[in-house]
Amino acid sequence: MPTAALEIKAISAHPGPVPGKGAKRNEGDGVCKLIDVTTCIGCKACEVACLEWNGYPFHETKFDNTYQTMPDLQWNYYNLIRFNEHEFADGSFGLLMRKDQCMHCADPGCLRACPADGAIVQYSNGIVDFQQEYCIGCQYCVSGCPFNIPKFNSMTKKVHKCTLCSDRVAVGLEPACIKSCPTGCLHFGTKDDMKALAETRAAQLREQTAHTNAGVYDPPGVGGTQVMYVLHDIRNPEAYGGLPANPTIPLMVRLWKGPVKWLGGLAISLGLVGVVAHFLRFGPKEAHPIEEVHRP
Amino acid sequence: MTNGWIDIKNTDVMLIMGGNPAENHPCGFKWAIEAKRERNAKTIVVDPRFTRTAATADQFLQIRAGTDIAFLGGLISWAIENGRYHKDYLVHFTNASFLVRNDFQLPEEGLFSGFDPATQAYDKTTWNYQEGGNVTGTAAASSAPGGAPQHPPAPGSSSKAGEAAPHSSSGKGGEGQGYQAFGAVGAKAMGPGADATMPSNVAHDLSLQHPQCVFQLLRRQYSRYTPEIVERITGIPKAEFLKAADLFTSIRKDGDAKKVGTIIYAVGWTQHTSGTQTIRTAAMLQLLLGNVGRAGGGVNALRGHSNIQGATDMAGIFDVLPGYLKMASPADVNLATYIKRTTPTPSKPSEWDSYNYWSNTSKFIVSFLKAMYGDAATKENDFAFRYLPSIDRKYSWVEIWDDMYAGHVKGLFAFGMNGVAIGPNSQKNIEALKKADWLVVCEIYPDETSEFWRSPGITPEDMKTINTSVYRLPGAGFAEKDGSFTNSARWLQWKYVAVPPPGEAKLDQEIVARIFLKVRDLYRQEGGAFPDPVLKLSWNYTIPENPSLAEVAKEINGRAISDVTDSKSSQTIKAGQQLPGFSWLRDDGSTLSGNWLYCGSWTEEGGLTQRRGTDDPSGLGVYPNWAWSWPMNRRVMYNRASCDIAGKPWDPSRAQIWWDGDKQKWGGNDIPDFKIDSPPKDHMGPFIMNAEGVGRIFGPLAAFADGPFPEFYEPTESPAKNVLHPNQQNNPVARRFKSDMDKFGTPEQGYTIVCTTYRLTEHYHYWTKNNPMNVELVPEPFVEIPAQLADEMGLHGGETIKVSSARGHYIAKAFVTKRIKAMMIDGKKTYQIGIPIHWGYRGIAEDAGKTARTLANALSPAAIDPNAYTPEFKGFLVKLEKV
Amino acid sequence: MIVEEHDVLHDVRPEETQPILRYTLRERVMHWLTGFTYLYLMATGMALFTPHLYWLAAVFGGGPTIRFWHPWVGLVFTAAMIWMYAVWRDEMRTIPEDREWNRKVKLYIENRDEELPPIGRFNPGQKQFYWVMLFGTILLLLSGIVMWFPEYVPFGIRGVRPIAVMLHEIGALVTIGAFIIHVYMGLLVVPGGFRAIVHGYVSRGWAKTHHRLWYNRIVGSGSAER
Repeated sequence: MPTAALEIKAISAHPGPVPGKGAKRNEGDGVCKLIDVTTCIGCKACEVACLEWNGYPFHETKFDNTYQTMPDLQWNYYNLIRFNEHEFADGSFGLLMRKDQCMHCADPGCLRACPADGAIVQYSNGIVDFQQEYCIGCQYCVSGCPFNIPKFNSMTKKVHKCTLCSDRVAVGLEPACIKSCPTGCLHFGTKDDMKALAETRAAQLREQTAHTNAGVYDPPGVGGTQVMYVLHDIRNPEAYGGLPANPTIPLMVRLWKGPVKWLGGLAISLGLVGVVAHFLRFGPKEAHPIEEVHRP
Repeated sequence: MTNGWIDIKNTDVMLIMGGNPAENHPCGFKWAIEAKRERNAKTIVVDPRFTRTAATADQFLQIRAGTDIAFLGGLISWAIENGRYHKDYLVHFTNASFLVRNDFQLPEEGLFSGFDPATQAYDKTTWNYQEGGNVTGTAAASSAPGGAPQHPPAPGSSSKAGEAAPHSSSGKGGEGQGYQAFGAVGAKAMGPGADATMPSNVAHDLSLQHPQCVFQLLRRQYSRYTPEIVERITGIPKAEFLKAADLFTSIRKDGDAKKVGTIIYAVGWTQHTSGTQTIRTAAMLQLLLGNVGRAGGGVNALRGHSNIQGATDMAGIFDVLPGYLKMASPADVNLATYIKRTTPTPSKPSEWDSYNYWSNTSKFIVSFLKAMYGDAATKENDFAFRYLPSIDRKYSWVEIWDDMYAGHVKGLFAFGMNGVAIGPNSQKNIEALKKADWLVVCEIYPDETSEFWRSPGITPEDMKTINTSVYRLPGAGFAEKDGSFTNSARWLQWKYVAVPPPGEAKLDQEIVARIFLKVRDLYRQEGGAFPDPVLKLSWNYTIPENPSLAEVAKEINGRAISDVTDSKSSQTIKAGQQLPGFSWLRDDGSTLSGNWLYCGSWTEEGGLTQRRGTDDPSGLGVYPNWAWSWPMNRRVMYNRASCDIAGKPWDPSRAQIWWDGDKQKWGGNDIPDFKIDSPPKDHMGPFIMNAEGVGRIFGPLAAFADGPFPEFYEPTESPAKNVLHPNQQNNPVARRFKSDMDKFGTPEQGYTIVCTTYRLTEHYHYWTKNNPMNVELVPEPFVEIPAQLADEMGLHGGETIKVSSARGHYIAKAFVTKRIKAMMIDGKKTYQIGIPIHWGYRGIAEDAGKTARTLANALSPAAIDPNAYTPEFKGFLVKLEKV
Repeated sequence: MIVEEHDVLHDVRPEETQPILRYTLRERVMHWLTGFTYLYLMATGMALFTPHLYWLAAVFGGGPTIRFWHPWVGLVFTAAMIWMYAVWRDEMRTIPEDREWNRKVKLYIENRDEELPPIGRFNPGQKQFYWVMLFGTILLLLSGIVMWFPEYVPFGIRGVRPIAVMLHEIGALVTIGAFIIHVYMGLLVVPGGFRAIVHGYVSRGWAKTHHRLWYNRIVGSGSAER
């Protein structure tokens, strides 16, 4: 959703300076959604709110031995609670319920990987948003994302993901999922505030409950995220439906969007310069007339 | 709820049992989360399954369905033996000190005193207090626990109970709690002991040492519920039980009176043949711990529908009139006999005071009759009392269907009620409808009831033999009508129309009004046996065929018919004005009110139910200007008990109300649920709806059909023998139906698995299966099966299985989960499975042929609780096979 | 063997002053099919390769358009390359004479062609270009298919997707390098080469200068027949 009220900080595949970056005073750390999974009750109100706000159609689902609505996110299902039965290290049993959606990384792998100018933008408030009209459907973003979030619509050849309700946020509303959450396990505010809230809650869990390894998930590998989790056991995020322990933008993506790009460009440029230089130095190979050929 | 949703945030520890609020009351559960976040409140979840509520708990205990009394009784015993109770509260605010008749016997062999095997009913005469004064200290010599049950009567007490009581307030069969007065349902039910009354000057021992005092009886009653016995019955390992007992009673550790614990439950407790007694055990535990009346405490029933509290308040059950007034019986020959029968008189130590609010019964019933019959209700004709129907037997839900199956009930109106699906033994209900002449279904979708004639197994040939005429009326959905919802917290909240009803759909009140007007026309034309109750029914609405609900709400609140003056304040309510509260109700015909409990909800100020004030000066979540809460906008009931005997809050940081010595009245952050000017020195009991004025740890006389103390009985169908008393397996007074379709299974027949039924957060009863969004979230029926059992059966998740009970079968996919584990019940490995109830033969998936189209309640038995008449939907026996 | 292969050149006119047909119409079509498709692929590929050239996407109809056509044109290019493989495969094999030429390639770069041994119809540089493009095509095709349909890559081997992109880029960079040299040679370094691939004919002098063995074979065989 392009939104005039939002200032753009980073644009995919954009040469030169990004309009909006640094244009506003005190960008701060942007907005942030905090998901306290220890108070999530898996009611799926967020799933419904997301579907309703975005106006997406209903999906035909199938019972799959779980409460989870569907196995994975879909291009028109941005938001999915992942249910996992889990035994904690102390032998206690847990039903882990984690709302899975775009993490809105500070260093977004999708945006880095994207080859289409303007198809992915990062607003100064930290929201990473796909601009479908510029999307070319190459799905590099899928490769670039360490959380396996962007999903491809094979009919329109566009990739979609959670927008953190950039359209709502732009007009001062909280995202739809936040609005719908009945227990308040979803919080929304500035990153600084959410960090403080998350750390306080994690400390409370460590001190007051059996979750002595509770912690805040704000992975540094992607520069931190605008969506954070409070987890019962920060040592084992994988248990929450494959939340990566240390997500990073894949090496390959960093290579082909980094050194390979520059080295390749350099090589091609050098090649062009080389042939020009060669021509200037040596010029063309003239064919000899046939008589001269015979001349010894 | 004695308290309210928001009030849960004030608690220190929660026992969530017989309910799954995270899934079924997610919006209210925010307050439980709030308590955890803001107060570090602890949560104990006890459930047959590890639910989504359990996922947020500090401790989860897996219990065998239907054994809750054993667990709670064990908690009571543990609390007593470990001194984890609130002594002052117990002595002053409960009947713990009251002496019970010497011939009362505890059910050590399974039966209380007075059981008559011939009638399968109790003579409750012995279930009574002793007459007499303060006997404190007289029993010190023989006060050891387990002392002789036949202790000689204390000095001054009379063995002839009730001699001094001027009014009879007893009976049997008519049962209930809270605001329900006790009294007989009908003449037939008035068996032996019906004449017994409670003594006016109750013998009591403030030291709680007398062996016949309620406290010692309580102690003796539950001394049998040791942790070992609890483990054998419930399957909860002793160590886990002890941990939970310690955690829940930790609020009374070292004599602390400040902390508060709450108990939160839902139909997981109600839907058993001992359902009412289960809830009562919790209430007794809360009285023992001094948690009732206090912010963050109470016994909190989470209602399963948006307005089920409203339905209950407005006489949703057969034996009450609106406001829990008793239904008339044929023995009530006139209004005076009715009032005499249903108005209790104080029964308490003579040094104490009792408000005995039900002494106002005559004002409530006369105002109700004036609301019903208007000018036709006159003093001369007993305010048209005889126009009210009276009942001579029980007409509970299951009984109606049993009657229909027997051919006695010929027609049925089903409004917003999917009768086939919601009742037990649904195949019997389908068969019953086949025998009816007509059926009217008012719904927003065609449902299993309106389509009963094409339920699974009925062929087109069979359909030709069904002669029931079915009328389908298109009703309006909740968002298409205004009116008020009364939530679990007793708040009446007005709501507004969001969208008009589609197509030909009509508002409920329009449909009912039009039917009524037609019926009235017929009576006018044809007369009939007794036309007056219909012809003279007050129907003075602006649009008679479509009454405005605001108009109805004003009528329910009530107004003055002629000028009413309060003698104390000399304030006058003029004729025609709305009444500001039920203290204005009169029994001389000068006031009318459709429901005295709702009096005060729509006053001259307007609809208080429409208020949306968000100020909460105390921070206790009282929100006094948000909507309106019965009674009289009190948010926490019995809140007098939040103060010590001198009128000071037990916990000043959660001060709800207090005695203001200067003004000589009670005041504070909530509205006192008490006589406003009764000084603490008068020792008026906080439980103003009880004749005793105090909380009933012992439920005297006819309060309960199955005993003054709850006793554990096995569910109707149980995998185990009752280890407390093998000769008394089940609740002796629970009703099992006996038609040819009412079969009950045993482990010997191969029904060895305990089955429980429940709702999912993704669905709402039987109608969201018509909504694509809900269908998307959970598309198909399933059966939750313990992983260990699945392994033994070689069963994998997603495979189709057949669950069979003695009554029917259910086919769905297997949900193999580790959230249910095998249990050891009395040394035997026992499994439980769970079935969400939501599916049937009408809905998106059903119509598309994607499910087996069976009903979960095809499995459940028609056996009902003797007090609330709720069927045993949870904890019956099944067997499993792969399909 | 080569002679047989070039029986198609039966219309070569024996007159010594007449131009020689270097590329048949089929070969020219084949070449330009690869050439133009490669140009498109390179331009659109470069648009996606670096933001600084994303403007090229606009030239070809915009990002989504080039994303749509690039794989299809890639398939055409691949088909043309297969054709080219079928037609030129044998002529592109290294012959003994090439070895010395390869050793002395520096002389070729410095335009000291006189010091080089005579070569056949294609010089070793051309042959290397042919094989580089051929293997490059295989690499680009395989990685391109993954990139065309990344949504079908199973999640378990999702690492294949960025690897495919990397391989595609490497394939592109290598072939682009070769392609630059090829175009430079054809357009600027060897006058008449471009004309040859357009019209098909070269002068006898050109043929004798740049591909003497081939010239000798054509002329020689032609004389022999007469």
